[in-house]
Amino acid sequence: MDFQFIAHAFPEICKAIPITLLMTFASAFFGWLLGLIVAMVRRSKVPVLSQIFAVLVSFNRSVPSIILLYIAYYVVPAAIYFYAKSIGKEIDVSVIPAVIYSIAALTLNQAAYASEIFRTSIDAVGEGQVEAALSVGMTKTQAMFRIIFPQALATAIPNLSGLFIGLIKDTSLGYYVGVYEITSTANIISMPTLNFIEAYIMTTIIYELLSFLFNRLFGAEEKHLTRFRARVTA
Amino acid sequence: MGITYDFASIPGLIVRILNALPVTLIILFSSLAISLGIGALVAAGSMGQKKGLQGFCRGWIAFMRGVPTLVMIFLLYLGLPQLLDPIGIHMSQWNKLFFIITTLSLTASANMAEMIRTSYLAVDKGQREAALSVGMTNSMAFKRIVFPQAFGIAIPMLGNNMVALFKETSLAFTIGILDILGRARSISSMSYGANKLEVYIASAIIYWIICVLIEQGTKALERSYTKGRKRATA
Repeated sequence: MDFQFIAHAFPEICKAIPITLLMTFASAFFGWLLGLIVAMVRRSKVPVLSQIFAVLVSFNRSVPSIILLYIAYYVVPAAIYFYAKSIGKEIDVSVIPAVIYSIAALTLNQAAYASEIFRTSIDAVGEGQVEAALSVGMTKTQAMFRIIFPQALATAIPNLSGLFIGLIKDTSLGYYVGVYEITSTANIISMPTLNFIEAYIMTTIIYELLSFLFNRLFGAEEKHLTRFRARVTA
Repeated sequence: MGITYDFASIPGLIVRILNALPVTLIILFSSLAISLGIGALVAAGSMGQKKGLQGFCRGWIAFMRGVPTLVMIFLLYLGLPQLLDPIGIHMSQWNKLFFIITTLSLTASANMAEMIRTSYLAVDKGQREAALSVGMTNSMAFKRIVFPQAFGIAIPMLGNNMVALFKETSLAFTIGILDILGRARSISSMSYGANKLEVYIASAIIYWIICVLIEQGTKALERSYTKGRKRATA
């Protein structure tokens, strides 16, 4: 163990944590929002759109994140370039940071998984709940937001927690497209002196701490969201 | 920035990339078998009476769930040889498949252990008691009564875990193995990277098809396996 290296590299690797967290939060936010929309569309069986989403979800769930990342890396800049050209502007797409592509790819991946989680957890709320809500004079939207969603979210939380931890781990793939998040920073720092073992042990510890932290947070949130259940059974 | 795509070349690329399918399958099935073995031991330990062993096994699951596969690859492929070199074990000439199979076996073992634990616990306790009461030994009760039922419960989870593991095999190209993705990248670099997007789409299609096959296979297995059982309970 080269402790001098550790002392020098640890703060450097820690500086990359915000990028990892940015990728995680951005992809989770956009992905889960998109996933909710996909789930609602597929549940209400909107013709055509519903089938298209089903195919896209299957694709996104089956293709390794790394390939999605590479495809986004080549498609997103081209799409932006052609779009800009079609409205009569020339833009230099090489200035767009790679983190954008990574977030785009991870967002689609998250949306696919989240939509399945939301679909099953909304289905898990009993039919009687909607009927009861409607019978006391709520509108359909009110029933959705006040009765269905809170219960569905409580069921979804454990799965969302797993999805989120998986996402933190997936951000390490940013290494391949040159995003300076934790893993690639560790890789770059350890290259000159070949201190791989030290660098990756530190990286592992950071990831473990992040997983542990978010696991706890989701656990606490689950307790908070399921408080209605305890009252019912008591 | 001139961009030209030749999407008509994708079917031809798929055929060329499929040459590497055996490598991916070797990685998949070896790590599947090993991770199931480790998972079974860890699951047994985490349900056992010994407090120390129980703590170790739970820690193992939490640890393996928190570390990204990519970091694990670097840790084993770059870090471990450095660690073992001073004590006379020189791993630099070892087959690269060893590293990727070890990595995937370790990271997947957590999910496998959880799968085995939950499906074992899902079998009603009375089943085992009934088996013992008719004079079966402990191991007979496990082999003939508990295991067949637990296996039926585990099939869907096994399918999911297999899909996840299959997707993770795509990281093998990181250390220069010519699996599906590695082969795709080498085809692309033979033409100086001109058809990068096309090869990634081609490999995405391959992964997609195989994942759908695994999913359908799992469903068929579940249907045929639980067929007689459902009838028995009715």
